[in-house]
Amino acid sequence: MTMLKMVVCIKQVPMVSELPWDSRTGTLKREIAEGMMNPACKHALEAALRIKHEHGGHITVITMGPPMAAEVLYEALTLGADRGILLTDKKMAGADTLITSFTIARAIEKECPGFDLVICGSQTSDSETAQVGPQLAEELKIPSAAYIESLECRGKTIRMKRLSDDFLETLEMDLPGLVTITTRHFHPRYATLSGLEEAFQFSDITILSAEDLGLSPDCIGMKASPTRILDVFSVTAEKENYVMKGAVKKILEEVFEKFGDKISSAMGKDLKTHEHSD
Amino acid sequence: MKKTGKEIWVFGDYRNYFRNRVTLQLLAKATDLSKKAGNPVCAVIFGSNVEEYVNEYIAHGAEKVYVMDHISLKGYNVETYVILMEMLAKKYKPEMVLVGATCFGREFAPRVAKRLATGLTADCVDLEMNDDGLLLQTAPAFGGNILAKIITPIHKPQMATVRPGVFKELPHNYQATGEVITVPIPKKLPENRVRLISSRHESARINKIEDAKIVVCGGRGMGSKQKFRKLYALAELLGGEVGATRPVVYSNWADHDSLIGQAGRQIKPLLLLSFGISGAIQHTAALMDAKFIIAVNKNPDAPMMKMADIAIVADANQVCSALIREIRRRIRE
Amino acid sequence: MGVAALDFNPCMKHKLVRKTVREFVETELGPIAHEMDKDARFPWEVAEKMRSLNYFGLQIPKEYGGAGLDSISYAISIEEISRVSAAMGLCVTVHNSVGAYPIVLFGTEEQKKRFLPKLASGEQIGAFCLTEANAGSDAGGVETNAVKDGSDYVINGTKIFVTNGGVCGCALIFAVTDAQNPRKAASVFMVEKQTPGFSVGEIEDLCGMRANPVSSLFFEDCRVPEKNLLGRRGDGLKVGLAALDTGRIGIAAQALGIAQAAFEASVKYSKERQQFKRPISSFQTIQNYLADMAIEIDAARLLLYKACAYKDAGKNFGPEAAKAKLYCSTIASRVTGLAVQIHGGYGYSKEYDVERYFRDAKVTEIYEGTSEVQRMVVARHLLSAPV
Repeated sequence: MTMLKMVVCIKQVPMVSELPWDSRTGTLKREIAEGMMNPACKHALEAALRIKHEHGGHITVITMGPPMAAEVLYEALTLGADRGILLTDKKMAGADTLITSFTIARAIEKECPGFDLVICGSQTSDSETAQVGPQLAEELKIPSAAYIESLECRGKTIRMKRLSDDFLETLEMDLPGLVTITTRHFHPRYATLSGLEEAFQFSDITILSAEDLGLSPDCIGMKASPTRILDVFSVTAEKENYVMKGAVKKILEEVFEKFGDKISSAMGKDLKTHEHSD
Repeated sequence: MKKTGKEIWVFGDYRNYFRNRVTLQLLAKATDLSKKAGNPVCAVIFGSNVEEYVNEYIAHGAEKVYVMDHISLKGYNVETYVILMEMLAKKYKPEMVLVGATCFGREFAPRVAKRLATGLTADCVDLEMNDDGLLLQTAPAFGGNILAKIITPIHKPQMATVRPGVFKELPHNYQATGEVITVPIPKKLPENRVRLISSRHESARINKIEDAKIVVCGGRGMGSKQKFRKLYALAELLGGEVGATRPVVYSNWADHDSLIGQAGRQIKPLLLLSFGISGAIQHTAALMDAKFIIAVNKNPDAPMMKMADIAIVADANQVCSALIREIRRRIRE
Repeated sequence: MGVAALDFNPCMKHKLVRKTVREFVETELGPIAHEMDKDARFPWEVAEKMRSLNYFGLQIPKEYGGAGLDSISYAISIEEISRVSAAMGLCVTVHNSVGAYPIVLFGTEEQKKRFLPKLASGEQIGAFCLTEANAGSDAGGVETNAVKDGSDYVINGTKIFVTNGGVCGCALIFAVTDAQNPRKAASVFMVEKQTPGFSVGEIEDLCGMRANPVSSLFFEDCRVPEKNLLGRRGDGLKVGLAALDTGRIGIAAQALGIAQAAFEASVKYSKERQQFKRPISSFQTIQNYLADMAIEIDAARLLLYKACAYKDAGKNFGPEAAKAKLYCSTIASRVTGLAVQIHGGYGYSKEYDVERYFRDAKVTEIYEGTSEVQRMVVARHLLSAPV
């Protein structure tokens, strides 16, 4: 059995699903949000760990972000990854997906030559673009498949299943290749505390700047990105609604009194809606 | 009206034609956008024997349709379609390319954007044209109730994927005529590096919640796994299905198949009962098409309460129990 | 000598310990903590999962199968478990600190190899038995005795209020080994559950910590080999006091976790609950309560981490552990009391978790040395210092 050289791309995202929004200044209070490993990335790592435990192999995790993003690398090492790479540089900041995939591809080429399989989460929970994975495959000029739910290695070929727009597809590709993993399967394991202790004791984390990668500031970060964010704003779809408070029994009586027909017609059943109608 | 030659392309995603109308919705939006500068609205179709879709797209607003029709394109293969789209876009230089944010579209579009070295905005919920002919793309960002307005000022084409269901399709007009440009496929198409072993339509099993007339949806506000189970009793009484939010699914109170949201299912029930859900946009975006919403939450300011027709300020679990009793009584009577 | 700045930011490792434990307990214990308390049920199915993740070997060295964590990581782990289920936090801290750690400190190499791997893997849950009907704060009143018979000791007596009593696989027994001079001649024995003469009494019906099977343990002619004597004969008091020093860090962390949970629930509730057409968090009285809770929790946490830092630095941490235990448990009672107050009638109802926090907090002022004993320890230390 060939041992696969795997690269898992992960991202640190804010932990809260609703970011604190300062309505007075109209900005995000990003600094009070705790970071965490993006859920789909964690599933991607789980997929790699299962391959490693079944067939052997080596897992490099790579992330791009501020120095604090090292935390998700340590988490990955705790869970069983072998090596971490942190791409951190103010010049890399603000990259859109086109430039992010460009930057990560250069790091993979430099640090992980001869890789077999790149695994990404299908999308991040903060921007949810689902674009970096497929674009990274293009940048590395390798085949790819997105939204994968299960995979099986047969030497240097992998067979994959996915649900794509209501079609259950079975696909096959020769490695090297890239897959993006959904959160539907590959439920991540819990970290062991001894693994955590070891991750910090024997950590293998490489920190790389733009200069280390030989990238000119003109081709990375916000500067090189074709998209521009004009405005970020909060929206809550407000509509005229009927607010009810008080004793539950009273409320429900009123609901049936006033809106019973809505419930009845949705059920296709005639509920007795008016208490004193007969 | 001043006419420009800058074309707006809509990718013809017809695989799931009867369930998924996003291509038609995009043609309608493209028609709307074109009013400002008179851009030609074009559809692009790849496949084998796709004539019916060519006619359908013209009936829904396409003035021009680029067609690559060949038996070897039967498989709806992402890689092949990416190659063809790159070729076509480099040859005809569209100003904008709009793609439905289906699974296929969200894998296809980023790869095309990469090959064309241009920007792409994901999963847009609104599109506008500004006076400079730039596409203002509104996309959800940072997970919360936050939207970002994004442009691609210099690079061409300006590309966006658009969430199904946010725009309304135009009524079809079979009298409409359009120009059909048949483009021959290249003599030597590279072999697919991703081989399709099998593909099976799965809609019957998957779409129970999507098609349900009544959905009972619960969040962490239900209190516990045990209390969450009451929702199943309620749904059964009503003849509906149970949906769940992401935190609920992550806590294993409900399985992943009932996840309502961007990573899960989109629903369009006549009646939605929402219990103990605050309403992060990933969730609320998936229930925009619900006809009548009753939400129960202790917090009257929760976004879910603001979008409800009836907002009941109370403990979700308590209301659920009372509602079960009440409906049982009314059915009996 | 340079002066190092105090760094109040948790290091990446400690942040990750907190997240790791929190994720596990919120997922696994969160949904059942309420029912566990209601039914007084020990969650074996969760304990089983905790075994493979090293929760039973937090501070046991790696060579014996433990995780070998530092003390702050240990305290954070206990705090996070207790934030969700104090009863499970109690199980884990008692097992780790007074059930297993004395063997790390005083065991011979042979004893460590024999006992620690089973404890570290959670195959055996540990317990520590000091309290008796007539002995608690006063260890000198212990009546359980161990009489030498050949190469064995024969133990007779009854231990009460044994945390983990109903689930323990191995208990450390504090017994008198010299009937003539009981105050000076106590010893500690490692006794496994299957030893003939060892039996478990009924589970106590307690006010709080209801999911922990606290029970009596009976010893009737319970014969253990001499090689199960921990430390030297007559070292009992030394072993016991060292165990309690470590144990107090764990109880302090547990109390802190309960306080934290009560505080978070109070912030959330006060924003939701409307009275006089506004959330009660807009009233200054409630704001004062919340501010006091936050300040006390912060202060308690710093005191606890200081004791941990002393321990890891190899300093005499006993008095620091006593201060931390006293303060954390005191504020836990106060904070949970305020939490009930903020919740009003609902807080007094079993439907809300603050009622459980309130009951669970009280005992942290009592076990592993009452608040009165902690003050004694602190005072003794400060008065014995050279002037």
